Amino acid sequence: MVEVGPTTITQDRLKPGGKTFSIAVGVGVVGLLLTAVGYAVGGADRPSILAGYLVAFAYWLGIAIAASIWNAIFHAAAARWMTVFRRVFESMGAAIPIFILLFLPIALGMPVLFPWVNPSNRMSHEQLHLLQHKALWLNVPGFLLRAAVYFAIWVVVNQLLRGWSLRQDREGGLEPTRRMRRYGSGALPFLGLSITFAAFDWLMSVDPFWFSTIFGAYYFTGSFLSCIALLTVITVLTRHEQRLFGGLVTRHHTHNLGKLMLAFTAFWTYIAFSQFMLIWIANIPEEASWYVVRMKGGWQSVGIFLIVTHFIIPFFTLLSRGLKFNPRGLAFVAVWILVVHWVDLNWLVFPALHPEGFYFHWTAITSMLGVGGFAIAFARWRAAGHFTLPVKDPYLADSLRYQQA
Amino acid sequence: MAAAEHAAAASGADALDAYPLMVGKQDNTTLTGNLLAHVWARPDKGWLLSFMIALSGSGALVLAITVTLVEGIGAWGNNIPVGWAFDITNFVWWIGIGHAGTLISAILFLFQQRWRTAINRFSEAMTIFAVMCAGLFPLLHTGRPWFAYFMFPYPSTLEMWPQFKSPLIWDVFAVSTYFTVSVLFWYLGLIPDLASLRDASKSPIQRKLYGIFALGWRGSGRHWHNYKVGYLLLAGLSTPLVVSVHTIVSFDFAVSLIPGWHTTIFPPYFVAGAVFSGFAMVMSWMVPARHFLGLKHVITMRHLENMNKIILATGMLVSYGYLMEHFIAWYSGNQFEWFVFFNRATGPYKGVYYLMLFCNVLVPQLFWFKYFRTSIPWMFIASIFVNIGMWCERFVIIVTSLHRDFLPAAWDMYYPTWVDITLFLGTIGFFSTCFLLFLKFIPAVAVSEVKELNEELQHRPAPVTVVTGA
Repeated sequence: MVEVGPTTITQDRLKPGGKTFSIAVGVGVVGLLLTAVGYAVGGADRPSILAGYLVAFAYWLGIAIAASIWNAIFHAAAARWMTVFRRVFESMGAAIPIFILLFLPIALGMPVLFPWVNPSNRMSHEQLHLLQHKALWLNVPGFLLRAAVYFAIWVVVNQLLRGWSLRQDREGGLEPTRRMRRYGSGALPFLGLSITFAAFDWLMSVDPFWFSTIFGAYYFTGSFLSCIALLTVITVLTRHEQRLFGGLVTRHHTHNLGKLMLAFTAFWTYIAFSQFMLIWIANIPEEASWYVVRMKGGWQSVGIFLIVTHFIIPFFTLLSRGLKFNPRGLAFVAVWILVVHWVDLNWLVFPALHPEGFYFHWTAITSMLGVGGFAIAFARWRAAGHFTLPVKDPYLADSLRYQQA
Repeated sequence: MAAAEHAAAASGADALDAYPLMVGKQDNTTLTGNLLAHVWARPDKGWLLSFMIALSGSGALVLAITVTLVEGIGAWGNNIPVGWAFDITNFVWWIGIGHAGTLISAILFLFQQRWRTAINRFSEAMTIFAVMCAGLFPLLHTGRPWFAYFMFPYPSTLEMWPQFKSPLIWDVFAVSTYFTVSVLFWYLGLIPDLASLRDASKSPIQRKLYGIFALGWRGSGRHWHNYKVGYLLLAGLSTPLVVSVHTIVSFDFAVSLIPGWHTTIFPPYFVAGAVFSGFAMVMSWMVPARHFLGLKHVITMRHLENMNKIILATGMLVSYGYLMEHFIAWYSGNQFEWFVFFNRATGPYKGVYYLMLFCNVLVPQLFWFKYFRTSIPWMFIASIFVNIGMWCERFVIIVTSLHRDFLPAAWDMYYPTWVDITLFLGTIGFFSTCFLLFLKFIPAVAVSEVKELNEELQHRPAPVTVVTGA
């Protein structure tokens, strides 16, 4: 077998500041300011403006949690090929603490966002009765306490895995790898349950009468997919940086990212179809009402748009081997996925507020930019001063020389 | 720029993998010799005894089928409101067992998991036999299996047309496609090994027989190229198929309005459960087989430990499914849904329910600990428990959801008859018969793939020196 890849590489630490950081901070500040202005003058649109913010929050936080889960999965599976990407996953996960701050508008806006906080007089007797039953779960202190638990899990897991990884950068040795594998495996049940119940609390309870056992899987599948898409974009953008991780990524690595996006595009479709088909065919009023709203008016068009853009187009383009070997093409599909995942989350939340038909408010975009800007800036800030790949990982050579069989 | 220099310790990394993928130094000659040895050896007493027991089981199966055909399915314990019972429980259980084979042979292949090579042949054979056992039950449950061809859409003078809105018809297509592709995939992988058997045959009859099935394989570069492409394509095709089969099996229940059956998590949760039970079944056979066939050098503790990790992972997914079902049953505020779960835990079948929870939720937790993952007796016992637990799960889902429905006046109990039990035990006998024959006539390990792996294992990537800058 021919030896491939370099035998000596040079790696720099990521410099603090930089263009990415300044732009992200700028976009974040402007985005959130505009959103705040929109909210101040919003009047009757206020619940929807807050819902747009909730979507942005769930979108970016979902990616950060998904990055922690991917990292934990790769440790549990003792994967070698992805070592070159590991620090990026860790850095994405390192953004989680900023979301505690970004959670404040949601915590303060609960009465506006979630109908179960102050059941209105317009609700039927049966609905009020249901809310009474659910109050054991859907109550303000419980909601906030659970959010605190979720955040605690995410922050601790990410600190542990990232902490040992950075320690390996300094000290080397096998002990950190052993630890990360152990903690990564052990963290998975906690991560899986917390993201599921966070999806129930933050997204599903916007319509407190509707329920679906697969909803947690729906949210984390979309987040998983978007996380790989974001990783692909970052990789392709930095592929010429010879002294950072991007310069060492080969086409075999990006091919794998393409395959993962293909697999999770299919898996998202599988989950979405399972939920839709089972509810549609059984046609039980208490469940079907959720889809009834989404199958008429402008929401139906959004649904069809999602089938085409979240499944058909990415699935069939990603089947191509040539595309997966073409960095720019792959990055284009990745950006595409990042956009439609946002549409998907909007489609989950907004019809509950606007059953009468399609609704859009410009602050949805400023919220996305604002939350995203702060999340990226925070992750970039925490990544600064560290290497962009685990330089003393025992499997670095395996990863850099990784080739498809 | 202060530059520090050090080498990434590539050589030390193997210290993390306590068990090798192959024990001892092997070359192609020794591997061909010792992996084909069990085919050439005369059957020993142990094999003959097991075969006799298995054959008696198959005999019992014939008896139970005969009684069912002569007397009709009234010979079973099923009766309204429990229209589905042992039959569908066994169907789902067997289909699920088949899933491990395809996961190992196709999905782990796509994931480039090298440890799959030593166990894929073995578990794929189980897939085929398990699907055969599974298919038997719905076929018999039609009552008049000789009319089973009615289920296929063909231009009939009776103007019969299948009900395409029914998941039972989807099952017909899903299971038959799955079976066909599994057989093709398995057979394709077998061809180089059949050629090895042909070439090593001592008697002309053996040479002829293995020669016919080897389809003229000569091992040329072109043969290998076509083989590799075909194998990859079939792996790609099998992957969505294996997910679709158990998904459609879950649809059999989930499309209905029955509390306990109709829930959206069913498709992925059934697939995870199928892989869970499949791996347990592979484990139950692998532990004795590697001992008696002399395969311990290629099926090492590494393989067993990895399989136990998958059992743990899929067991956790199944537990996640249970949690979602129970939580949403309460959260929905639907009293009928909640009653089903209450009745499972407190009703007349609660023993089966708690056995299910013990086997599927508690037992796999052992595998968090390396001691249990690498202890042969423990993994064997745990795998048996998981097999039992997954059977109980299907029984709980099917029978407890049916026996107390919306109308208390219609409530009734289900008890299996001797025919039900004999039919189930009979399929285990039939499965074992097929499997023992497989172990006798076909190499249990994919010899050519293991040889390829052996070449790959000789090669370690050269270390990379990282020069760290500012």
